[in-house]
Amino acid sequence: RHTMALLVLHETALGYALFSVAEIDGIGSTSPAIQEAMQDLAKFGKICKLTAFQPFRSAQDALDNINQISEGLLPELLHTFLESNLPKVKSKKSSSVHLGVSDPKLGGSIADALNFPVTTLEPVPELLRGIRVHFSKIHKSLDDSKLAKLAKNFQESHLAKAQQALGHSYSRAKVKFNVHRADNMII
Amino acid sequence: GRGGGRGGGAGGRKSAAVVVEPHRHEGVFLARGKEEVLLTRNLVPGESVYGEKRISVGEGDDKIEYRVWNPFRSKLAAAIVGGVADIHMRPGSKVLYLGAASGTTVSHVADLVGPEGLVYAVEFSHRSGRDLINVAKKRTNIIPIIEDARHPQKYRMLVGMVDCVFADVAQPDQGRIVALNAHNFLKNGGHFVISIKASCIDSTADAAAVFAAEVTKMKKEQLKPREQITLEPYERDHAVVVGVYRPPPKTK
Repeated sequence: RHTMALLVLHETALGYALFSVAEIDGIGSTSPAIQEAMQDLAKFGKICKLTAFQPFRSAQDALDNINQISEGLLPELLHTFLESNLPKVKSKKSSSVHLGVSDPKLGGSIADALNFPVTTLEPVPELLRGIRVHFSKIHKSLDDSKLAKLAKNFQESHLAKAQQALGHSYSRAKVKFNVHRADNMII
Repeated sequence: GRGGGRGGGAGGRKSAAVVVEPHRHEGVFLARGKEEVLLTRNLVPGESVYGEKRISVGEGDDKIEYRVWNPFRSKLAAAIVGGVADIHMRPGSKVLYLGAASGTTVSHVADLVGPEGLVYAVEFSHRSGRDLINVAKKRTNIIPIIEDARHPQKYRMLVGMVDCVFADVAQPDQGRIVALNAHNFLKNGGHFVISIKASCIDSTADAAAVFAAEVTKMKKEQLKPREQITLEPYERDHAVVVGVYRPPPKTK
């Protein structure tokens, strides 16, 4: 169990989302009770709350960002977003707040650039699973009307369209900019 | 070329005698004629994807076009013809498809899940990937992802939570690859369908022993196998394993 305050970063095809996590015993465990709570939007909304969102400003912007994120690098847009939304800490070691991320490499980039403590350990992976389950309905769990209005854009059809557009641009670029002339064949 | 898409050969457009009925698996169809033929309803009527035959039934506004799904060319089709109990993909399902290759089977899965469903199609080979991207241009419920399925981190921004993970990656560490993707993207109680080619994992061991070892590995990753069938006579030394991820507790 974590005893520190925790924020969690979720990267999507629409933009970056930051969640704050309530301190609850056993969170991140695979016990039936915790897992059941994680599946329920109302309960999950009390555990994990959207606190900030940074949308991508264009298709090109989204592509630039995923290209860096997939390599574990810290894009400028994410740097600015975290800088303005993470609490100020005196030092990494004494901080009572941690940022949970999915990728250890990106975590390292963030910790270095922002001098902020980062973790990839449980409960982070379980919380990210929960966020992924509820993301398109997350506006229903928010009291903050401003954020709820913004989060309405996360709905299923909108998210799928963004994933589709970004999937195409990311994949086209991969195929086009293959530096190795020979194919990376599977099989 | 396999003789172009349209009508060549017996049975192509001579649909008068063909009766199409829904298959036991929702979203899959069967043409009953001299032989039974597996079909999916064409999401993009008027076009074949890889030269497969099409069959139309009905007239005018009632006309429905299907595409023939050949079990010799698709392991998922072979599993269906072989009598697998459930493929865990149906209209509206979200599927993460690992080892999408050129998108031939993916196109049938896209037909099957329909406009309300989604197929996240991952393929690492750039050569196949080009074809896959082209298939996805016409079928907008396919999200092409040219990336290594060993590193789901790289494509986490492109994928939502899914109902089913299908894997045909023919890699020795396939079990681990499926587990990594399941931990990130497969919902609790979601299912997996894995095609295992024994010789890709261990070319010296007996096929049955290889399948058993893979099943043991899966269990350690909360992937609970429920069914296993071989793909004879369509593929040699292939098995399809179907199971559930993090099944809900049995007693309440």
